[in-house]
Amino acid sequence: MRVPAHLLWLIPALPLLAAGIGAFAPRTARRTTAGSAIAAMAISFLLSCGALVTALRDPAVHAVHNFAWFDLGHGALRLGWLLDPLTALMGVMVTLVGLLIFIFSAGYMAEDANFKQFFCFLSLFGAAMLGLLVANSLLLLFICWELVGLASYLLIGFWFHQPSAAAAAKKAFITTRIGDLGLLVGLLWLYDATGSLLFFDGGEGVLEAGPLAALSAQTTVGGLAVSTAIGLLIFCGAAGKSGQFPLHVWLPDAMEGPTPVSALIHAATMVAAGVFLIARVYPLLAADLTLPSAPLHALSVVATIGAITALLGAVIAVGQNDIKRILAFSTVSQLGYMMLALGVGSWVTAIFHLLTHAFFKALLFLGAGSVIHAAHHEQDIRRLGGLRAPLRVTFATFAVGMMALAGVPFLFSGFWSKEAILHAAHGWSVSQLPFAAGLIAVVLTAFYTTRLVAEVFLGTPRGEGAARAQESPAVMTVPLVLLAVCAALLGFIGTPWWPWLQRTLDPTFATEPGGFGLMAVSIVLVATGLGAGWALYARIPRSSAGEADPVERRAPRLFAALADRLGFDELYAATVGRLNAWTAAFADALDRRVWDGTVRLLAGLGLFTGQVTRETDENLINGGFDAASGGLRSGGRAYSRGQSGDTHSYLRYIAIGFTLIALAVLLGVRR
Amino acid sequence: MNGVSYVELWRALLPEGCLTLGALLVLAIDLAAPASRPAAARRGAATALALMALAASAWATVRAGTDGAAFGGVFALDRLTLVTRLGVIGLALLTVALAGNLSRLANAAEYLALILFATAGFTLMAASNQLLLAFLALELASLSLYVLAGFDKTRPESAEAGLKYFLFGGVSAAFMLFGFSLLYGLTGSIAFPEIARQLAAQPPSALLVVALVMVLVAFGFKAAAAPFHLWAPDVYEGAPVGSAALIASASKLAGVAFFARLLWAGIGAPVAATWLPVLAILAAASLVLGNVAALAQSNVRRLLAYSAISHAGALLLGVMVAGRSPGSVVYYAVTYGLATVGAFGVIAALEAAGPSQRIEDLAGLHRRSPFLAGCLAIYILSLAGIPPLAGFLGKFAVFADALRAGGLTGPTGWLAFLAIAMGAVGLYYYLLILKQAFVAAPKNGAAKIFIPPAARLALGVAAVAIIVFGVAPGLILGAF
Repeated sequence: MRVPAHLLWLIPALPLLAAGIGAFAPRTARRTTAGSAIAAMAISFLLSCGALVTALRDPAVHAVHNFAWFDLGHGALRLGWLLDPLTALMGVMVTLVGLLIFIFSAGYMAEDANFKQFFCFLSLFGAAMLGLLVANSLLLLFICWELVGLASYLLIGFWFHQPSAAAAAKKAFITTRIGDLGLLVGLLWLYDATGSLLFFDGGEGVLEAGPLAALSAQTTVGGLAVSTAIGLLIFCGAAGKSGQFPLHVWLPDAMEGPTPVSALIHAATMVAAGVFLIARVYPLLAADLTLPSAPLHALSVVATIGAITALLGAVIAVGQNDIKRILAFSTVSQLGYMMLALGVGSWVTAIFHLLTHAFFKALLFLGAGSVIHAAHHEQDIRRLGGLRAPLRVTFATFAVGMMALAGVPFLFSGFWSKEAILHAAHGWSVSQLPFAAGLIAVVLTAFYTTRLVAEVFLGTPRGEGAARAQESPAVMTVPLVLLAVCAALLGFIGTPWWPWLQRTLDPTFATEPGGFGLMAVSIVLVATGLGAGWALYARIPRSSAGEADPVERRAPRLFAALADRLGFDELYAATVGRLNAWTAAFADALDRRVWDGTVRLLAGLGLFTGQVTRETDENLINGGFDAASGGLRSGGRAYSRGQSGDTHSYLRYIAIGFTLIALAVLLGVRR
Repeated sequence: MNGVSYVELWRALLPEGCLTLGALLVLAIDLAAPASRPAAARRGAATALALMALAASAWATVRAGTDGAAFGGVFALDRLTLVTRLGVIGLALLTVALAGNLSRLANAAEYLALILFATAGFTLMAASNQLLLAFLALELASLSLYVLAGFDKTRPESAEAGLKYFLFGGVSAAFMLFGFSLLYGLTGSIAFPEIARQLAAQPPSALLVVALVMVLVAFGFKAAAAPFHLWAPDVYEGAPVGSAALIASASKLAGVAFFARLLWAGIGAPVAATWLPVLAILAAASLVLGNVAALAQSNVRRLLAYSAISHAGALLLGVMVAGRSPGSVVYYAVTYGLATVGAFGVIAALEAAGPSQRIEDLAGLHRRSPFLAGCLAIYILSLAGIPPLAGFLGKFAVFADALRAGGLTGPTGWLAFLAIAMGAVGLYYYLLILKQAFVAAPKNGAAKIFIPPAARLALGVAAVAIIVFGVAPGLILGAF
């Protein structure tokens, strides 16, 4: 099956249709809504596979289908679809993970009263995410980007009757909007500078050589190349969406949403959209590398932010007690790795890690969902424990996901993709600091994943929910098994011996020989982390929920700081939040005292005029005519019972209007 | 008219033929049906026939094509004709599907037949390229509408509306016929292109001014433009809801298309200095009066009437600048018609559920019927001109043409500014409706509202069409 570029719109259109069905179906139509959502995703998956086959026939080509949306002045605003291996691979990943998570959700949300809305929102999300992938225009991408944000907002706040969920939804929306503002400004600037927002357009697109050369040749404030400035603004949007430091604070809170949402949106797909965006516009960010005298390279900023985020997320994850928050900080950290890879110039390894991460993190989240479902909505790992025996399938698959995340060598996909990133970071000519941060994060990742598994599955149940746990139904465990298979095997498409993925995405990709020493180092580091975790948590399992954490016993203040997420939320509340509150108070005062008065005055004037007009119309004009035609009317009343007296004056109006207008025009023409 | 081809006549008149045949069939079948058949079955059969006739007419319209004059220049088969005919037929389809309270009317078949006759008049107005045919078409439409307005014999308001509409229509038809005969006297022809040629060769005379003002008085009546608007509030309030919807939507579209053709193709740009000022006066008066008077209304239908008057101002502005291409004004009229038919459809559903004339009767609509409230929001916001709905794009297209025609400081530019300022006033009363529908709590004892499936479908189609035309205006604008 072949799916050429001009048919790509079908892939997002089907989930959109399912969302429409969901929106208009009655609340009780649970089967219809869930069925259409799953069917739409399944067909989109098949279409994406077709698109992948089509794209792989000639990986170096960017097949596009552009069309004019509407005319604007002398030009036209054009949108388009783009088919290349990047789009196609991402499409296959999103539709496959999405499909499995949709199926899982049918079991997980079965008892929710708003089941129908949930699938409607999920489909909306799927449509927007797929639209973002196939877009060949930064504008279309931005539209879908915002829709994805909206779907995320709706789904985080899905249980909006809990104040914490409502607050988390708001926080996620506002924080990502801060980044989106940068993206929007970058988009406008790009349009101003090049007159186009299409990525590829037969030599005219913004990612093609001509416009890129023009962009990097101009400079703006501080000697920055225009391409650098626009690239950094676009990166702001990516940082917001992908939870990069310092905008990472929303992602852990987003775990207030239902667990399938966390798996789909806040682990596998949406948060990776920022990485995808940077990979997509990579030529724009890399354009300034040819300028040796540039004061700042956009990619260096990306690498720095990525390294900080990778390390920060891993550090904070060590001190969390909520199963989903640990995974959330782990996501932050892994996204940092991807940004790091982008920054050091190896965008293909970033996409490699994105794909493997999508599968193993979706697996981990769904496994967590299965645990939470089985343990009667207990999420605190201190009150779980001993779930290995009752939840056999969940445990086995969760362990696969955990080993992939930790980077256990050879059999698990996470090892290969992380290895590729470390290799790329090691080869970066600018600085070795990101590489060092990456190595430290490897140890921490192995440590906190071991802690997570040991606390949840080993030892004895330490809470009501865990004690009564039973394995989840097949509709939930089958997706887990499928995801586990992918999480294990996917790494083999990008090993140093057979870098198929890298070569497909970038035909110029070259593997340098060597790097096996580096691989050995990282295997040792993983072993260190696993060993430390084993020694602290698995050797002597926790006996009661109230017992202090082994790390807490050894370094209480450090652990408290980690549990407090290093105080970022407090810091933001004290600075940005307070500034915002002051501004809001000022604006409120201004609004109440000044603008409101003005508006009231104007509104009063408008109302007054309307009143006067009505009075005039009803009393003066009608009344005048009534009085004038009073005699006529009283005479005619006898035979004109069917007519109202007003009609006479109305008709007279025609005559008067005609006479006045004719006179006015005649006088005008004479002159 | 040498070399008249009756094959051409057949092709050009087939849309009207379908409608007339459909109307006669509706009447005949209703007459032939035994009285023992239940009223609901007769009504259903008549509705189905009417819908089929409209669909056939749409098919014939497309088949007639757009290759210029037909039958010796009596008909103009161009894009304006095509789009207007299709628009009128579409609006009539929606009206038929929405006239949910037909059950209140005795003789539903007659009602539907009259709607078909009126629609035939509208499509003929859109196609006519000659004074005599135009007058006949206008009269066919008008006479059907007079009866439709007064059709509900159980309500005195309906009779009053019918009579008022008839009186006004009669007077304005007299003005128009007088104007037409003066035009004939000045030029010796009734064919539009010939009239334009003759007028361009003459110096402007006082007689021409009188003739044109007379014709434009009739236009002002048809479009409900101030100061010839006085019938509108009473008719909108009193007429059966389907009739009011047809008068407010399809009739207006046909009138705008017809007068745009008459003024630009039949009278012509060379003498535009004599008639453009008249249109400007009517437009400015309608914009101000319609919007300001609407502020003080408490009855939904009267409010819609004043809103119609204000939209008539914008439509007149659109006709003033239709010389280059009538696309924007036709787009405006079509999308305005969609929103108005939809709004009347909501009123029909409300009235079927209980008395509702005042704005307060809309209170809590979102509880009583979320679907109805959602549709109403789309219609009202489109009328108010909120993007991305079609009403916004219509205003945008007309104002853009207005600025292009005369620049920022030309008369059309000033009118565009006036229209924009008045649009802000309009937002107030439009939002008053939505405030009742969405914010106010339902009254005690207000039940859920049942909407017949056909009406539900039509309401949905109108709402979706407003969004689709708003997002992809090229569907209509691109046809010109």
